[in-house]
Amino acid sequence: MQDIITVEDLVVIYPDGTRAVDGISFRVKEGEFFGFLGPNGAGKSTTIKTLTTLLRKTSGRVSVAGYDLEKSQREIRRSIGVLSQETSLDVDLNGWENLRLQGRLQQLHGSVLENRIEELLKLVQLDEVARKPAGRYSGGMRKRLDLASALIHKPKLLFLDEPTTGLDTQSRVAIWEYLEALNKEEKITIFLTTQYLEEADRLCRELSIIDHGKLIAKGSPSELKAALGGDTITLTLEDALLRAKTKELLRTIGGVTNILDSESGVIAYAKNAGQIIADIVTTLDKNSIRPSFLSISSPTLDDVFLRQTGRRIRSEELSRKETEPFLM
Amino acid sequence: MAIFYDTQSLLERYLIKLVRNPTLLATNLVTPLLFLLLFSQLLQKFSIFLPGVSGGYLAYLTPGVVMLNAMISAPQGGVSIANDLNSGFLSKMLLTQVRRPAILLGRLLTDMLVVVGQSIITIIVAIALGVKISSGLPGILLILLTTAFFELALSGIFLTVGIRTRKTETISAISGVLFFPLIFVSSAMFPISFFPSWAQTVSKYNPVSYAADVTRDLVLGGLTFSTLAWAYTLIGVIALVTFAATLYQFRKVIS
Repeated sequence: MQDIITVEDLVVIYPDGTRAVDGISFRVKEGEFFGFLGPNGAGKSTTIKTLTTLLRKTSGRVSVAGYDLEKSQREIRRSIGVLSQETSLDVDLNGWENLRLQGRLQQLHGSVLENRIEELLKLVQLDEVARKPAGRYSGGMRKRLDLASALIHKPKLLFLDEPTTGLDTQSRVAIWEYLEALNKEEKITIFLTTQYLEEADRLCRELSIIDHGKLIAKGSPSELKAALGGDTITLTLEDALLRAKTKELLRTIGGVTNILDSESGVIAYAKNAGQIIADIVTTLDKNSIRPSFLSISSPTLDDVFLRQTGRRIRSEELSRKETEPFLM
Repeated sequence: MAIFYDTQSLLERYLIKLVRNPTLLATNLVTPLLFLLLFSQLLQKFSIFLPGVSGGYLAYLTPGVVMLNAMISAPQGGVSIANDLNSGFLSKMLLTQVRRPAILLGRLLTDMLVVVGQSIITIIVAIALGVKISSGLPGILLILLTTAFFELALSGIFLTVGIRTRKTETISAISGVLFFPLIFVSSAMFPISFFPSWAQTVSKYNPVSYAADVTRDLVLGGLTFSTLAWAYTLIGVIALVTFAATLYQFRKVIS
């Protein structure tokens, strides 16, 4: 398979001096479902905006859909569809009119456009509300209409910037199913950014983890998790001194492949954690260490992020959610 | 031609939006009629000071209200582009193959159409109330062209402010501060011979006076080539300056 996106040493610096993207390189193959996972402010949106011609890069070489980003912006825009993070519809126009306007701006005409509108309205299940103003749609419906408008000119490459942020679970799953179908059945290459671990895990076959404008890990979700060296053993310990002692003791136990600090205690990785858990409990007990919580789980992408950065994505995600109004 | 197709697509968008916002549409239509009816009623007795004007103060006022239409519509383009910038809709348009100039052209045409529509209604109401347009239908067409051109020249100010600040409040504030002195310290509403000398001086340099004088001469009669040429030159210069500024700001957004 050919590469549909190639990025080499991409740097994007904002006028205020912020290095939003700091020398990243990656390739996306045709037909791939490719994801950029990272917390808020990692550089995901900046990368998408640059690749889709909205932002100017500071340096680096980028080719999208076979065209050079610097020389052939028009050709790139013809080949790609983009779903921005902020749903952008004209709320005074109805669903049908929004798609018609988008289609006309993409240079479609007459019956070809009309048929495509009907087809897309059915695909995103908005055919029954197509004549209602988009301003009266729910958050999920707006996102689906926006997705349909990104697809109007049958792009071979679709960029999605946090497509499910702010959506309820049901709408999120609906969007996931459309995206999976588009990738499998229509063979559309998808480049998606997300701050949701389960979204990256479920959808993406290839993943890059980005933080502070740099790529910190690459691979398929299962490869990334396997690289941690087995299952995750989480121990919650309030006392900082006990944490240091615990880490020391864990190092003596055979089978433990990696030990990390977490916000609430210590995390150890081990192949077949179930077999050594008894050793761990006995050793700790002998030294009078009683964790307030202990669990074994399969590693998640959050563990991958934690290992690379020492922080969790999930905690940032949660604290953000509390301050953000729920959009629905 | 793609640019015509794109301009037409966007013109349609703005016209649909206008029809879907009945309050805005009604305000656009009612405001000039309100000025026409209110001022001509309140200042009915003013007609005795205008012995040379057939049709009295109402006939004098009609051209001024037509120019007022242009001034009411001029900020709309700026408001619209600021809203599109804030909602992300402008970015969405920039991600399509739309010819960039069509984004401005579609909006400018919409506002010019609105002004022409308002002015037609204003003229019909004035005629119904007894005003005679001495220059007939060709004169009415020239009135409509003048007011549309004047609106176009002024709209560049608000497009520039809208793209630069992205704040509709700033546009409202500027239009409020700008319009009252411009419209009242000019020949649009009252003959400048009634003004104190400083206001007469201001009126003589006020572009609204030039645009209103052309329209007034077309209503009352006696338009000379030099009045027309001066007004169009002045409006043309304003248009050049405001659109140089608009294009400068717009290029920063689209590149």
